[in-house]
Amino acid sequence: MSYTPYREPFSAWNKLILAYRRHSGSWAYILHRLTGIGLVAYLFIHIWALSSLTHGRAAFAEEMKTFTTPPFKVGEWLLGALVMFHAFNGIRIAVVDLANGAKYHKKLLGAVWVTGVAVVVLMFFLIFSTDLFAK
Amino acid sequence: MDTTKQFETRSERVVRSYSRSRRSGAPAWWLQRITGLALVILTVGHYILMHYNPVSGHDYGETASRLSSPWFKGIYLGFITIGMYHGLQGIWNIVRDYKMKPLVGMSIFGVILVAGIIFVAVGWNTILTFDPLKP
Repeated sequence: MSYTPYREPFSAWNKLILAYRRHSGSWAYILHRLTGIGLVAYLFIHIWALSSLTHGRAAFAEEMKTFTTPPFKVGEWLLGALVMFHAFNGIRIAVVDLANGAKYHKKLLGAVWVTGVAVVVLMFFLIFSTDLFAK
Repeated sequence: MDTTKQFETRSERVVRSYSRSRRSGAPAWWLQRITGLALVILTVGHYILMHYNPVSGHDYGETASRLSSPWFKGIYLGFITIGMYHGLQGIWNIVRDYKMKPLVGMSIFGVILVAGIIFVAVGWNTILTFDPLKP
């Protein structure tokens, strides 16, 4: 009779996810990667979309008509959340790597979240100001 | 290989460390921090100016007046380049965390490199061939 080792269900996925231990710093690491991938994807679309600037005023205005509809505005606002997290956590990484930040990296992460959320909420009012406060 | 040898001389260690540092990835690590810190300023500024302001980022006239400044053009050529570099260096960094055959790794690196060069060229083309008088 042969020995069959016990295999946990979805063991490959478990391994992949548990490889990132579930501590606050590791969540920051995961989120930094995910927001980074998202921002690179957006950067490609962004450069491609804005190449319409070379097609003249009418083509650009036509494109911007689409990009100023409510779904795109909400998307733009949420994209800002990715940017702010990646930017502030990037500062945290630089402080940990190049200064003495390893001793207070959890406090820095708290600061990242507080500033990020504050900026994103503030930006909600800026981006929707024409819709919210229009007469 | 001589496995009986337990110690290496000082000069051997120096030679070994220098021959390794050539492909240690340290320059890329530093560049990722430096471009990252530059991008914190550039991207957050870009966001406040272009995306969170309901008018300025989506208006052809304002875009044309901004692009008439050589300073603005120069900053944005740099912004596109270092943004793309930082993003794709980050993607390659993530890819390298996973074990793969050398041919697969080289292919992914090739795709990343070619995509980066093409999209930086598209972005530069947009800025440099922009003609505000085109209807």
